Amino acid sequence: MTAWLVRRLAAAMAIVFAVVTITFCVIHLAHGTPFLPGPDQDVDPQVVARLRQQFGLDRPLPAQYVKYLWALLHGELGESFYLRRPVADALADAIPPTVTLAGAALLIDFLLGLACGVYQAVRARRFADIALGNLALFLNAMPTFWLGLVLLLVFGQWLRWFPVAGMRDPVLCPTIAGARCTVDVLWHLALPALTLGLVGAAGTARYQRAAMLEVIDQDFVRTARAKGLGEGRVVLVHTLRNALLPLITLFGLAFPFLLTGAVLVETVFAWPGMGRLSVAAILQRDYPVVVAAALVASAMVTLGNLLADVLYAVADPRIRARSERA
Amino acid sequence: MNLGKWLALAAAGAVALLAAAAVRRRAAASAAGRRFLAHPTATPGVFILAFFVTIALAAPFVALDPNSMPGIVDLRDRPPSVLHPLGTDVYSRDVWSRIVYGARISLGIGALATLVAVTVGAGVGAVAGYFRRWVDAALMRLVDVGLSMPRIFLLLMAVALWERVPLAPLVLLIGLTGWFGTSRLVRAEVLSLREREFVAAAQALGAGPARVIFRHVLPNAAAPIIVSAALGIGNVMLLEAGLSFLGIGVPSPAPSWGSLIYDGWQHMAAAPWTSTFPGLAIALVVMALNAVGDALRDALDPRQEGP
Amino acid sequence: MPGTRPPDRRTAPVVLVGVLLVALASCERRGGCTGDYCGALVFAAAGEPDILLPPVTQQAYARDVLEQIFLKLADLGPSGNTVGDEDFRPLLAERWEWDGPLTLVFHVDPRARWQDGQPVNAADVVFTFDIYTDSLVNSPYRSSLRSIGAVTARDSLTAVFRFRTRYPEMFYDAVYHMRMLPAHLLRTVPRDQWRSAGFGRAPVGSGPYRFVSWKAGQSIELAADSTSFLGRPHIRRLIWRFTPDLQVAVTQTVAGDADAVDVLGPPDNVKRAKGAPDLVTYPYRGAVYGFLGFNLAAGGDTNKPHPLFGDRELRRALAMVVDRQALLKNVWGDLAQVPPGPLARIWSIWDPATRELPYDTAQGRRLLTRLGWRDSDGDGILERDGQPLAFRILVPTTSGLRRQYARLLQQQFRAAGADVQLDEVEFSVFDERTQAGRFDAALVTRTVDPTPSSSIAQVWTSAGRSNAGHYANPVFDRLVDEARAATGRDEAKRQWRRALETLNQDAPAVFLFAPDNVAAVHRRVAGVTIRPDSYWALVRLWRIPADQLTERDRMEP
Repeated sequence: MTAWLVRRLAAAMAIVFAVVTITFCVIHLAHGTPFLPGPDQDVDPQVVARLRQQFGLDRPLPAQYVKYLWALLHGELGESFYLRRPVADALADAIPPTVTLAGAALLIDFLLGLACGVYQAVRARRFADIALGNLALFLNAMPTFWLGLVLLLVFGQWLRWFPVAGMRDPVLCPTIAGARCTVDVLWHLALPALTLGLVGAAGTARYQRAAMLEVIDQDFVRTARAKGLGEGRVVLVHTLRNALLPLITLFGLAFPFLLTGAVLVETVFAWPGMGRLSVAAILQRDYPVVVAAALVASAMVTLGNLLADVLYAVADPRIRARSERA
Repeated sequence: MNLGKWLALAAAGAVALLAAAAVRRRAAASAAGRRFLAHPTATPGVFILAFFVTIALAAPFVALDPNSMPGIVDLRDRPPSVLHPLGTDVYSRDVWSRIVYGARISLGIGALATLVAVTVGAGVGAVAGYFRRWVDAALMRLVDVGLSMPRIFLLLMAVALWERVPLAPLVLLIGLTGWFGTSRLVRAEVLSLREREFVAAAQALGAGPARVIFRHVLPNAAAPIIVSAALGIGNVMLLEAGLSFLGIGVPSPAPSWGSLIYDGWQHMAAAPWTSTFPGLAIALVVMALNAVGDALRDALDPRQEGP
Repeated sequence: MPGTRPPDRRTAPVVLVGVLLVALASCERRGGCTGDYCGALVFAAAGEPDILLPPVTQQAYARDVLEQIFLKLADLGPSGNTVGDEDFRPLLAERWEWDGPLTLVFHVDPRARWQDGQPVNAADVVFTFDIYTDSLVNSPYRSSLRSIGAVTARDSLTAVFRFRTRYPEMFYDAVYHMRMLPAHLLRTVPRDQWRSAGFGRAPVGSGPYRFVSWKAGQSIELAADSTSFLGRPHIRRLIWRFTPDLQVAVTQTVAGDADAVDVLGPPDNVKRAKGAPDLVTYPYRGAVYGFLGFNLAAGGDTNKPHPLFGDRELRRALAMVVDRQALLKNVWGDLAQVPPGPLARIWSIWDPATRELPYDTAQGRRLLTRLGWRDSDGDGILERDGQPLAFRILVPTTSGLRRQYARLLQQQFRAAGADVQLDEVEFSVFDERTQAGRFDAALVTRTVDPTPSSSIAQVWTSAGRSNAGHYANPVFDRLVDEARAATGRDEAKRQWRRALETLNQDAPAVFLFAPDNVAAVHRRVAGVTIRPDSYWALVRLWRIPADQLTERDRMEP
């Protein structure tokens, strides 16, 4: 088991390294020169030249790459071109909001999806099942950012039930810490998390419904029913436990989806997370931030997959044996 | 929109209905087809797809010029009316027409990019599954790298390699960033298929690896490939919408559905229909594709239950 | 569902949690601030400052915040006149005098203090000048201070500026570009690390507002300094809320989540703000002008004239067929004017009598025909020697306004027989291509300084750094030099008019719009004045009357 884990970790590091290299090359070769202000503003060519020299942009690409790798191995992520601070600081400020959003979205995803899937399985092939199934199909098919725009328009602008942008109210939140601030953040979190969560919940519901239908007809359930246990107990205790395994797979699948979906949703809702940071950095050609963001994203995805595999192996000894043979 | 266009639209709807009915009749003849029809959403899905493909092909008959700006002062941001069934956008262009012509671009990009993705994915998966050992290991590491990077991230940067990415490289880029999942599916199928007798027989008869893969193994692995393709088109359309929403993607003034949402984003307060209807169109088409894909999955491979 | 389940078993905890949350949310300290010195003003900003350190940033968003924290020696008065020194208001310098034609002596106000308590003295002025002109610091303002030879301290409160030459805007250059920095806090920062110095995220200045906090990507908060020598600001807290773009900023202000936005922009936003019952709109002169610039040199090489736009007569013909008033009406309504040259509304040299090329489609077409452009194959596009009259307009995708203009211009040019295609690219590509000269025509929006001396010279003289179209006319260059040397306002206006009339005849661009900005501020704020060159410069004079205080105004930080 340990040998397998070590091998997987080494593979994970190799993957992240490959991603960093690819990102570095692509972004440096892209059109658009950093530090070059447009015709809208005055450009002093001396200032620009000095800046490019300061950041090493006048050296050849392989030399820049080696310098970057060397710094990376020492734990240095570099300094952002435009944010005027170390990249690590910018990431440290951006990661918690993304994690909060992803966490809330996952919560909504699983709770709603689970509840929906179970209900659909119990009411299989009747009206509720078909109606919910079609709703899930529709939700799963729409672009996440479009759903965000529509929710924002209806609940934010027209009904004024939720705020229009941002993570917190700057007047309320630094003023009173604790409960009021938490409520304020939750209020701002509602629409973006709902956007991401609803689309994910639709997929989870379909998955869960199928998984439960597979189990619900099996012998041990019929035996439980025959023994006279209440329907609710049968559903919750027996079928759910066995249908939980696919959830771990879903967790591994949901992670990259949330990272990508978060990019667009963060842009729509002005959520100050990593998605917005990465998109702005790419559009501005802020090289250090772009490469660091790719590193963090791929590390999160790879480690997430690793975690899912470990959980799987722990949960099901058959899988553990199979994976050790592979 | 004049009377002629409305009639043409009705005709397109009738054509789609006929197509769906024809598919139903053909499908009812075989066991796989009946499994396909057992899904209540399969036939409506086929109808929706047929409808959008029909209006895309018949665009000049059912819609006006998508780029004409008849009254850039008076006719901008008009709500839906009889003349403009889905309203006008900020440049006074008819939203319905832009959606119809946009169907050509969005569906076209979806189909072509998925073709690229599925071809590359099937090829890589088949080679990895057939040859195993180090070939398999190397290719699967490549797949791991591809899967660990957020696709939209990679596309955002790759698109920047051109000043204004033309349609062909865009399709290729989207396709080449999306084959990883398919390759894994195909590899799994090939791994199980290669142990079967018909493969041993073909090899005994002296067939080379290429022949075995293409003539014998892949046709039997067709099921996951086809399902992948059906679901993949939907993903590509969502992805293209996302890219256009960030300001890159299909270059203006081509009315891809994603860039329609982008154009209307800044005017959501004044004219919400300019962004809402294109998104609805995307949702409908992707929903139809998912429904058809699910039904196909059951039809072609009854062993698998659920997604 | 068969089987019984008590209905309130699951609902009771939910209700309990809900009640608890509501109770906590409504729990607040009663009372709070009362009187004339309360108030929390929230600005909705369409972008975030990069750093709060004056010498190393040119950003407008940073300037808005820096204006409250750091003071200059003196600043522009309400007239906006930059010539001479009569129209300037003293800030850190209580008075000044001329000690000869090239020597300017400032007397630092003895009441001025840094926000950590230390007094402001002449050594700070000397240090500031040293920083702004140090090549290691690499300040974008360095070249604006070229004509100042040296700054020395005669005694602890007297700073002496020595100029290299005499010219009308000496005083403006001495005071406008530099915000005074605390030498005792910044002396130890290595000169090559100023660009990202930590001080810039927690600055200490001498202004009426102190820095409180900066939450990256979200907000910046400032608090009034009650001991400020300029007078205690009435509004106690200033908060900037960052939004990704203008549309969201306006939505927030209209919804009441923010109290002020500086530039509403397109007429749609102005309409929304005017429709909001709690907002008051304040129009003021804009510091921007937009134009369609022709590229006179192919690929940035001045030796190779552009195949189309190197020809002066063709440029004049194309400029004449554009109905600029109609375009303006369509896009801006009555919120902007057509500038008679590269002029912004903020400049006093704006002279509507400046002669320019008329809008005359007939004359334009005649000119084109005279040049040999004819439609030989009846497709509506003019040709000459087998070459069609076709070119591309470069537009950034981020500006909806410019995209609209681009489409309208395309229509108008098409009607005149020119085949125009649009190149809509992302802004970094737009910047790169305009700098490199890889364009035919580009839609540019130019932000200007309070004086035309630098702004017009930078873009339109042959030595100008931002002359992307490579327009070069020695007559124009000479007239600009003469205009810059003019000593009186009327004479300056006359001279600039002559220079711009020369430029207009060469038609290096089609000048499309010069907007008048509109700001929106919440109704309860009194005494609102907006300075066109730095919008929130006078916020320290605003106040919220005690009877208009809202709950948020009264909240204790």
